[in-house]
Amino acid sequence: MGEADPDEELLARVARGEPAAVRALTARKLPRILALAGRILGERSEAEDVAQEAMLRAWKQAGRWTPGKARFDTWLHRVALNLCYDRLRRRRETPMPAPPDKADDGPAPDRGLHAADVGRRVAAAMQALPERQREAIVLCHYQEISNIEAAELMGVSVDALESLLARGRRALRAGLADLAEP
Amino acid sequence: MTMNRERFEALAEAYGGDLRRWPAAERDAAAAKRAAEPAFAEAVLVQAGGLDAALDEWRPLAVTADLREAVVGAAPALRPRRLLARWALGAGLAGACALGVMVGATTWDPGLTGNGSDAVTAAMSGYDTLGEESGAAGDV
Repeated sequence: MGEADPDEELLARVARGEPAAVRALTARKLPRILALAGRILGERSEAEDVAQEAMLRAWKQAGRWTPGKARFDTWLHRVALNLCYDRLRRRRETPMPAPPDKADDGPAPDRGLHAADVGRRVAAAMQALPERQREAIVLCHYQEISNIEAAELMGVSVDALESLLARGRRALRAGLADLAEP
Repeated sequence: MTMNRERFEALAEAYGGDLRRWPAAERDAAAAKRAAEPAFAEAVLVQAGGLDAALDEWRPLAVTADLREAVVGAAPALRPRRLLARWALGAGLAGACALGVMVGATTWDPGLTGNGSDAVTAAMSGYDTLGEESGAAGDV
């Protein structure tokens, strides 16, 4: 790990039981982890369960954290991804009667109807992708994780990650051709 | 290190039209390629950027107040209160024990322990008896 972990100092304060640090780390990480789970699972209640469980594990880990070993953000993503994998596996074993709700929250006050429609179509196109392609795009595009870390998280080589990304984006471009035109 | 057109296109295909999402190890070479062949590079990046813009319209789930408070409430920041409660319980028990010992010590009256005195007397008598028996045996 070359760069200093930006979460390390906050994590140490969490371990000392500082309420302000808990709130700060929650504000920093919970939206990020909920976004990840929401886009991987495509369903709010499951995504919230995953995000909450991941954060609970973070609190437990805070006192045992070894600085310099791994980036906390990467570790937290790994925890959340594993929780998502568990749920996806359960879905495969127990097919759901209806497709899950989409993760999109609908139009925000400053977003027009068109933007909300685009969001829903993108959500549907993403959910239609093979799981591994969807994960690669979620990690690299939405979570903005580096290619090396994303490959590690997914347990694949960087070349394999690149292939998943390219295939996923090609499929999305085909499905969203009218939206993806520059 | 120079980058050829195929690699530039492959990176845009995988990582999109924003060079900040490209692999850190290849960003400098990509920037050099962009500077060397701006028309080619811009065409590739704009094409990839169209999909990026569409993807960005899928907004993330918003964190609800309930979820946030559930997460915060489970954090170790609450532990000091729990520790305080445990300390108070421990201190209470210790105090009760100390009080019990004190009451016992101040109210103890040897005169009230008849059974204990009798037991000691009996034991001593037994010992004396044994001594006498030994002595008797020695006299034989």
